[in-house]
Amino acid sequence: MHSSLAPSTPPNPMRPQRRRGGLLSKTLQYLLLILGAAVMVIPFVWMVTTSLKAPGAVLTVPPELFPRQPTLESYRRVIETVPLPSMFVNSLIVTTVSVIGQLTTSALAAYAFARMEWRGRDAVFVIYLATLMVPFQVTITPLFILMQRLGWVDTYPGLIAPTIVSAFGTFLLRQAMLSVPREYEEAAFLDGGNHWTAFRHVVLPMIGPALATLTVFALMSTWNSFLWPLFVTRDERLMTLPVGLAMLHGRFTTEWSMVMAGAVISVAPIILAYLVAQRTFIRGVALSGLK
Amino acid sequence: MSTRFASRWSLVFVILLLAALLSACTGVAPAAAPAGGAAAAQEPTTLIYFTFSAAPDHLKDLDQMIAAFEAANPTVKVKVETAPFDQYFTKLQTLIAGGTAPDAFELNYENFVSYAAKGALLDVSSLANAEFAKRYYPLAYSAFSRDGKQYGLPESFSNVVLYYNKELFDAAGVDYPTADWTWQEELAAAQKLTDAAAGVWGEFSPVQFWEFYKTAAQSGCSVLSADGTQVTINEPGCVESLTWMIDKINKYKISPTDAEMAGVSDGDMFKQGKLAMLRTGIWMFDGFKEAPFVWDIALEPGNTQKAHHFFSNGVAVSATTPNPEAAWAWAQFLTSSPEAAKIRVASSWELPALNDQSLFDAWLALDPPASREVVFQALDSLVTPPVIEKQSQMQDAVNLLLEQAKSGAITPQEALDQAKTEIEALLK
Amino acid sequence: MIGERGWRKAGWLVFFLLPGLGGLLIFSILPILASFVLTFFSWDLLTPPRYIGLGNYFQLLGDKSFWAALVHTLTYIAGYVPLVVVLGLGMAMAVNTTLRGIGVVRTLFFLPVVSSWVAVALLWSWLFNPKFGLINYLLSLIGITGPGWLFDPAWAMPAIILTSVWKDLGFVLVLFLGGLQAIPNDYYEAAALDGASRAAQFRFVTLPLLGPTTFFVFIISLISSFQVFDQVWIMTEGGPAGATTVLVEQIVRHAFSYGEMGYAAAISWVLFALVLGATLFQFRLQRLGVFDAQ
Repeated sequence: MHSSLAPSTPPNPMRPQRRRGGLLSKTLQYLLLILGAAVMVIPFVWMVTTSLKAPGAVLTVPPELFPRQPTLESYRRVIETVPLPSMFVNSLIVTTVSVIGQLTTSALAAYAFARMEWRGRDAVFVIYLATLMVPFQVTITPLFILMQRLGWVDTYPGLIAPTIVSAFGTFLLRQAMLSVPREYEEAAFLDGGNHWTAFRHVVLPMIGPALATLTVFALMSTWNSFLWPLFVTRDERLMTLPVGLAMLHGRFTTEWSMVMAGAVISVAPIILAYLVAQRTFIRGVALSGLK
Repeated sequence: MSTRFASRWSLVFVILLLAALLSACTGVAPAAAPAGGAAAAQEPTTLIYFTFSAAPDHLKDLDQMIAAFEAANPTVKVKVETAPFDQYFTKLQTLIAGGTAPDAFELNYENFVSYAAKGALLDVSSLANAEFAKRYYPLAYSAFSRDGKQYGLPESFSNVVLYYNKELFDAAGVDYPTADWTWQEELAAAQKLTDAAAGVWGEFSPVQFWEFYKTAAQSGCSVLSADGTQVTINEPGCVESLTWMIDKINKYKISPTDAEMAGVSDGDMFKQGKLAMLRTGIWMFDGFKEAPFVWDIALEPGNTQKAHHFFSNGVAVSATTPNPEAAWAWAQFLTSSPEAAKIRVASSWELPALNDQSLFDAWLALDPPASREVVFQALDSLVTPPVIEKQSQMQDAVNLLLEQAKSGAITPQEALDQAKTEIEALLK
Repeated sequence: MIGERGWRKAGWLVFFLLPGLGGLLIFSILPILASFVLTFFSWDLLTPPRYIGLGNYFQLLGDKSFWAALVHTLTYIAGYVPLVVVLGLGMAMAVNTTLRGIGVVRTLFFLPVVSSWVAVALLWSWLFNPKFGLINYLLSLIGITGPGWLFDPAWAMPAIILTSVWKDLGFVLVLFLGGLQAIPNDYYEAAALDGASRAAQFRFVTLPLLGPTTFFVFIISLISSFQVFDQVWIMTEGGPAGATTVLVEQIVRHAFSYGEMGYAAAISWVLFALVLGATLFQFRLQRLGVFDAQ
């Protein structure tokens, strides 16, 4: 039996099928669900309740499950001592520019690969795929040296530049474009349009789901990116949230209420984005799996 | 035909364009370094001073010193950048390598050699003559010279002493530490002071590189030979010292394990009354000021002899600064001006490395701790850190082996034998 | 394609291709090549680079820390990958129902996935604190004295593995869920009619048809776990006593703490070779039908 027997339209993981019986007995299923949900949610609850304790009141034996006097003192102290708000802005700037950059450059390049004929096209595409295989850590030393030579260490360009293009995004969008029927574009050309109008008005609108998927991946990976910002920013004022959070921990090793407050601040925005656009997130991940 | 031709050429064109862009970009010399602006006649020169010892507790003191300096030198402004100690040298290396070195920066005794060797420091021998040198504490001054040339000025010195919690001693009926104590007396006292049920331990000293070479010196052993060419870290005295350090935790149980400390710092534990004795630096005087009990300091117990740390921080001027005179003026001011020295003494920000007893008299009168003269007595038995060019690698390698010995994975002898091999490899 | 020739077409090509390809060239392709060349040099960024041929690679062979990092990385993989795959599949099967509120459960599982590694690593460092953390407290309630976790060389890696599984479980779950739901009901009905038990249905219908999904999950998990870094850096920095040093942490240490750029590049190329080898091996397995029907 092979996957070719699977239905050709990707199933929507938000709408599970009905099945008689099922593979797991009902009790086992309920047990797993309750256990699983508990294991997933309790740590988050713990993160929040810890952050609501006063600094210095956290190291108790046994641990206090809920703070007796919840307070926002830890949040206040955190924001005073570490420029978290400006780090939030940095993360916002870097992520926005990066996502827009990835969408733009990938869509444009994908069009060139999917819809234009040129000598060496397939060879260059293979090179794109090859770069996907190489781990980021291989490029980190030369990239860092390049940033130094350009004077871009501790600057926004230094933070953003390597994240603007995405071989993965180009690959994803090319696949999506290849399945757009040609008739629409031919009609556009016949109507007197050129590549740009075909791209902008015909192809782009038809690859909506793929664009959403790329947005989701780019968003998650840039917002949470740690290794590169860690070494390319030294000045506190330029750090992004993950780096700032790590620094907070380094400075207040056992002030867990403050560290957790910082963690809540850094995680809340993306969780919010996720809750608002759940379908897109999950569909994006599921789609990528089925490629 | 022409399509394929054109499309191939378009690709070539793209690549050429990129190459041009790239070369243009790299051609932009990072000489647009932020280190000071153009020293136009009326515009102030801005210096960047990079430090680790000022943050987080002494930034206000540094700001006071800067205010005094700027008042005396109206055309110069000093801007401070800081980094925590464990990231400081990584960042400094990056800044220097990227051509954006700070005009003046702090160095400590151990890392001075690598930076001097790489030509990153300005040779100030011509600016600092013998008369000038007399201002400074001789050992500290020579610590920042290499091959007969002076590359930095000592800013401060500090050492490590034995802190003890008087109230815990009183409660257990143990006599306070004296200058005659050896490890035996320390062990006996610590055993009486340790109360596992109450979570109180007799003593704590970390098992790491700096603590190790000093403890080794207390048994007459050193990491390197006097001329720095032989590695003697696995000799019997060193093994005995490492065994003693680890036994305190694992065998005699008068020191907490890492898990028992659970991330709480030794300083915090001392303040909470959980450690009866603690070996840590005199930089903690200010931090312990508010402790809710009476504490004091004493000389460290030795083994066959006494040995105490000697640490010194210095200020160096970057070899590539566009403002050498201004940077030199700042370095001088910070390290030897009376104003700066007074500020430093008043807030117990280590000790100025100056040859001026009157300064110290003011400092000696402060309390706590009451026995501040111990700090100067410790200078009689000082030991300086072993320094090689690949300092970070050596420290990390030794630390790793010490930790493995502490966890019981290898014996102290094995750890030090391995350390000898690795240090010898680094010396090549 | 349709229409134009010659230079007009070249113009269009530049317009579409230049941003993406240009960026990739500067920030990906050239650095990759430069990195390879760098492995033959010794360079600390302060003094000029020195050509040393295969010197870095020979040094790697004798470097205890490198081999320790390799072993620890493989240990991490051996612990993380099976756990996340088995638990992910199990939970996917549990979630694959039309119970009311199942959407909430799915949401909960995905929350760790969207959070940053730093936040998750810090949260679990706190949870695993031997004296004040929740986990040892819960263990004590059932009479077990918890270990020192991140302070104990024997337990630090398991702690990191558990944290990583917790974070990625939702991701794997969604992938498996997609795969499970792509299996048409007819197969199960046919098997049930043939008298197959639940276990047999799983073995002969589910597993084989999940083949491509399982393959994908393994590949992704393998590649990402070779590159594990964020949580190790935050939770233990490679300690205690070097018990959790991993390959990427070694790269970072040599590049940024010791200023040994060439050596760090050499380690990264060894990492690449390992990832490539593992991936190719997986493809081989797939061609041999390991991920297909029994």
